[in-house]
Amino acid sequence: METDFLDAHERHWEDGELLFDNTRWANADHLYGIAAECGLKSLMAVFGMPFDAAKGRPADVADCKHIDAIQRRYESYRSGCPFGAGYALPDSSVFDDWDVSQRYSHRSVFDRDRVDKHRGGTEAIRGLVQQARREGLLK
Amino acid sequence: MTAFDETLPIIAEILKRHKADLSDMDWLLVNRDLKGKIRLIAPVEVSESKLAPTLEEIAKELESRLGDRAYPAEYAILYDENREDACKGASLFPLEGFDNIEVADRLPVSGNWLSFAREDSGAPLVVFFSVKGGVGRSTAIAASALSLAQKGKKVLVLDMDLASPGLSSALLPENRRPEYGIVDWLIEDLVGNGNFILDRMYAKSDIIRDEEVFVVPAHGREPGEYVSKLGRAWMPVVRDDGATESWPQRLRRMVDELKKALDPEIVLIDSRSGIDDLASACVTDLGARLILLFAFDDEQTWTGCQILFRHWRHASVARKIRERLQLVAAMMPETDTLERLEEMREAGYELFAAEMYDAIPPGEMIEERWNFEESDEFAPHSPWLIRRHQGFTSLKTLRGRLSKIEESTVAHVFGPLIQGLGELIEERDSDG
Repeated sequence: METDFLDAHERHWEDGELLFDNTRWANADHLYGIAAECGLKSLMAVFGMPFDAAKGRPADVADCKHIDAIQRRYESYRSGCPFGAGYALPDSSVFDDWDVSQRYSHRSVFDRDRVDKHRGGTEAIRGLVQQARREGLLK
Repeated sequence: MTAFDETLPIIAEILKRHKADLSDMDWLLVNRDLKGKIRLIAPVEVSESKLAPTLEEIAKELESRLGDRAYPAEYAILYDENREDACKGASLFPLEGFDNIEVADRLPVSGNWLSFAREDSGAPLVVFFSVKGGVGRSTAIAASALSLAQKGKKVLVLDMDLASPGLSSALLPENRRPEYGIVDWLIEDLVGNGNFILDRMYAKSDIIRDEEVFVVPAHGREPGEYVSKLGRAWMPVVRDDGATESWPQRLRRMVDELKKALDPEIVLIDSRSGIDDLASACVTDLGARLILLFAFDDEQTWTGCQILFRHWRHASVARKIRERLQLVAAMMPETDTLERLEEMREAGYELFAAEMYDAIPPGEMIEERWNFEESDEFAPHSPWLIRRHQGFTSLKTLRGRLSKIEESTVAHVFGPLIQGLGELIEERDSDG
């Protein structure tokens, strides 16, 4: 299947919102993390991240990580691109406690505060994605 | 194919057909992005209202009429929570014929010629600008700085022609040049070190003893890796609160810091010439009190001025700048001077009347509007005369000669300019 970071960003956010509205904290939290990752990767591609079209993933394995590990990579691409100056992340530590393996955890370890924090971080990334749309960098 | 200049009239034509429906919207933006492609940005609540089908229909028409200048209809509408977010980073101007629709224009450069900073209430800042180079701007700055200093005024001169620096050589000998210049400040500021070099980026001219002309060059004594530095000077910075400060805003902050440090009575800025990013920053972003348009009576000059004036008029910002403009007849030959000056006044009037002055509706007097008679010698279209003079033709050799040239010669060549700048300082003194 063809990779589409932008659409993946949108659909994970939309589904995360559905779960959030139904207080399904555990899976909402998981989807916000994936939405954030896809949003950042769509921007990293704009800022020059090499992409291996045949494999449908970033060419550098260091870029094939999840949100807790991708923010420093985002910062490298952003700071190396003339368009990147207006795309700084307001807080780069929001997802430090998010891990893709949390999908195997018990639902009781997820609470509203944790999800609110990750939802806020994803919203900030959504703001940058929307900005890139306005500027015509993303479709 | 639809060319760039054809897009807005086509969009206006399409939107006019839907005007009745669109009048219910609080706001709508015609977003022209970095590539010049068009999308609409609408309030998010519209996406679920009865107006949504209208916008979708418009999106299809845009796609069909604008081709590659539009997005496929499915991507052609963006929805935003509020207008403020939607406008971020764009220059706005009204779409002709609509009260609630604006064009949000996004440029990959900071120089949009539209972001007029408020005038500074401190020492007046005067920008010496010209559409074409070689009109004697730098010489005029050097001569007026020295002349004002002779009258006891404290003058700060900045060489903002960063791509073609040279003004400082007219005012400072090699051994007096400061360690750093404007480009160094812009680079150091990127990493928060701007203030550490501030007191090492200006020097006092030695042409006139005991008088105070402070000069800030484009680069320091040693230009260093000037090309590498200049290429980075245009970077914006993201402040701790997340707000982005563009390089023209940084430049404004640098000028403010220099004014604080030196407390001059007037600031003279040698701008880059032409419709250029740096010239835009000098003319619009630094809070200038007076913008001197150095001009030759030729087509290149008038066409360039018309392009700028029309840009300001179309963006509805002409009122913000027109009172700061003054035409200068540069390097006017000694023969038939007055006839030539008269011809230039006529050409200047034609331009200002068409693009800058208010129209006078029937029954109203000219005094009630911002308008001037062609013959009004105090009007901005009436050029201040600078005469051509052999002694002032070369900046390179100017420094040695400036101190030897009679004050009366300087007054003869640059009289109206020096008088105008002197009056500006007096106005500021009397204002408080």
